[in-house]
This record gives sequence, structure tokens and C-alpha cells, in this order.
Amino acid sequence: MIKRSSGSFTILFLTLIVFLSVVTLSLTDDLTQERIAAARQAAIKRMLISLFSEMEAYHYDAQLRIYTIFEAGKPIGQAFMVQAGGYGGPIDIMVGLETDYSLRGIRIVSHRETPGLGARITEAAFLERFVGLTVEQIALTRDNGRIDGITAATISVRAVVDKVREAIITKIDLPNVEKEE
Amino acid sequence: MRYLKKDFIAGIIRANPIFILLLGLCPALAVSTSLDNAIGMTAAATFVLLGANIIIAVIRRYIPKQVRIPVFIVIIATLVTIVDLLLQGFAPALSKALGIFIPLIVVNCMILERAEAFASKQSVGRSIMNALGTGIGFGWALTLISLIRQLFGTGSLSLFGRQLLTIPGLAREPAIIFLFPMGAFFVVGLLLALFKWLGVSNNA
Repeated sequence: MIKRSSGSFTILFLTLIVFLSVVTLSLTDDLTQERIAAARQAAIKRMLISLFSEMEAYHYDAQLRIYTIFEAGKPIGQAFMVQAGGYGGPIDIMVGLETDYSLRGIRIVSHRETPGLGARITEAAFLERFVGLTVEQIALTRDNGRIDGITAATISVRAVVDKVREAIITKIDLPNVEKEE
Repeated sequence: MRYLKKDFIAGIIRANPIFILLLGLCPALAVSTSLDNAIGMTAAATFVLLGANIIIAVIRRYIPKQVRIPVFIVIIATLVTIVDLLLQGFAPALSKALGIFIPLIVVNCMILERAEAFASKQSVGRSIMNALGTGIGFGWALTLISLIRQLFGTGSLSLFGRQLLTIPGLAREPAIIFLFPMGAFFVVGLLLALFKWLGVSNNA
């Protein structure tokens, strides 16, 4: 019998606690894994539908990381996720494109911008400014683009705008657009 | 029985984790920008606190003194990970709003302090009551801070998507400073002064 004050009991006890912790966690992981995957899937689907309200199905190309949206069996657009570096941390954005490569719109999936300032990039008034723009038009007004900034949210806005334009150029094989080398 | 009631009441005002013990301030300052966050954070932290207090009180006689802190941390971290996974699966919106602050409950001093100062020395029953009381104390403190910050910082109050109250003039030009970290310090500092002045705090 090991004495409770001995060093070996201490080691055994801590090992036992860690072992029990590992067992509990792997059980919880097993139980929640599907739910978490389903919740993420549902979140993506909701986001896609908010861009393509007529969506009937979508296909995800895991290699290109592009969602193709279908209505009645025909592709009606594409969407993909991109991450911009905002003021408070990464900003995850979903970009939706029409079949003619103009913007269907963008959605902010997650962000850590300052509430009341940078966080206003999630407001409809800002997001609406992207709708229907071509790649060249996706820039702030002061950079000869078509998007008005938000007062006191310059860093967040610029991060989103520049990243969306850059992502479309690098990600999609656009006809008639020279890629920046 | 007398003890149980005393242990429960203690955490609410006299030994309030935020305003009196000044513990768990990191989440209190960071997530207290909206009522939703305050309630979600309270629920998560209270669950971990309660679970940790129960487990530690049950095994308190067997925990070797030299490794008690690692043991506490492993137990707390396990519970936090469970909460994190459950939130991701069943309340993804809340999980996203609280973000990094759920994993950070592991290092919330309030929970470790309760384990060290209370649960490792007292019976399971008393530890449960103390955890619940402390949870409520943490909850109302966080709710009060969030209420002030959300009201002045956005000019309106909302709870789970429902608008409760809007102050017309303030909503147009809100005092955004309240939503910044420094606003959190101002609010907590002023509340501390207020409670001190009211004589709630009994320590120097």
C-alpha cells in the first residue's frame, strides 16, 4: 500500500486525474463532434442563402475552396471565404459572385472590430455598397472606387475592401483582367 | 443548514468576486459590452465553478498538497473544454460572441480561488452553495457593468435580439468610449468607489 504523503502517490494521483480528464474530453468530443460540424455547416448555408436567396443546392470544391451555387441544376454564382486583417483581429468575409463575376454581395462572417466603430462593417448600409460592383470598382471612393468609407472606421473598411478585391483577383480566373504580379 | 445559507449569501454581496474580491476581472472587463455576453459568460463560468467545486470537494481528502494547483487546473480546464464544445455545438451564436473568453475561463482567478480557499477545505454541500452564490454575485456584477456600458455606449439596450430601451438622443451620438476597454475600467472603478462609499466593502 502506498502512503498518501509519498511522492509516488502524488505522481499516481496526478496521472489518474489527467487520465480521467482525457477520457471525459474524448467522450465529450465524440458526442459533440457531429453537432459542431452540423452547426458550422448550417452557418455556412445560412450565409450562402443570405447572399443567394434563390439557392437550391451548393457544391463545395475543397481544393479551390469555392462554393458553387445552383438553382434548378444550373450554376448561378460562386462564393468563397476570405480573411482580412482588421483593427481588432482577423475579419472573416464571405464573398458572393454572379456568373458574370460582378459582386453579388459580401457578408461579414466573424470579426473582432471595435463596437460602434469598426464593427459597423457588418451593417447593411455598408454591405449594400458592394452589390453589383465589378472588380475594378471595388475600392474606396478616394481610391477611385465606388465604395464610401465609414467615418472613424477607416482601417476596418479598407481591410475589407482591399481584401475582397484582391481575393477575387487571385482566386477566380477572371476574363480580361490582368493579374497583379 | 445555517452554514449553507451563509455560504450561499457570501458570494452575492459581502464576498462578491468582482466588486469585493476583485477576482475574475479579465472576463468582466472584456465581455461586458452587452447584456447577452454578460449572461452567456455568467452561465459558462458558473457551470465551471459549480463543477470544479463539486469535484474538488469530493476528492479534497485525497489531493496531495504539493500538486493541488495542477489538479485544480486540470479539472477546471476539462470543464471549460466541455463548455466550449457544448456551446459550439448547441449555441454557436453565443460561442462566437464570447470567442476567446470561454477558453480563458481556465485562468479565471475567481474559480481557482474558490477551489483553493473553499472547495478544497469544505464539504460538498457547502461548496455547491458557495459556488452558486459566487456565480450569482459574478452574474449581477457583470450584468450591471454591461448594462451601463451598453446603455451609454450604444444608446440602447437589447437582450437576445429584442430591443428593450432606446434613448433617442444618445442612440444617435452614443458615448462610444464606454465600449472601449478604458470605458470598462472607468465603469468598474466608479462602481467600486460607489460600493465602497455605500459601505458594502468591508476590507480595507
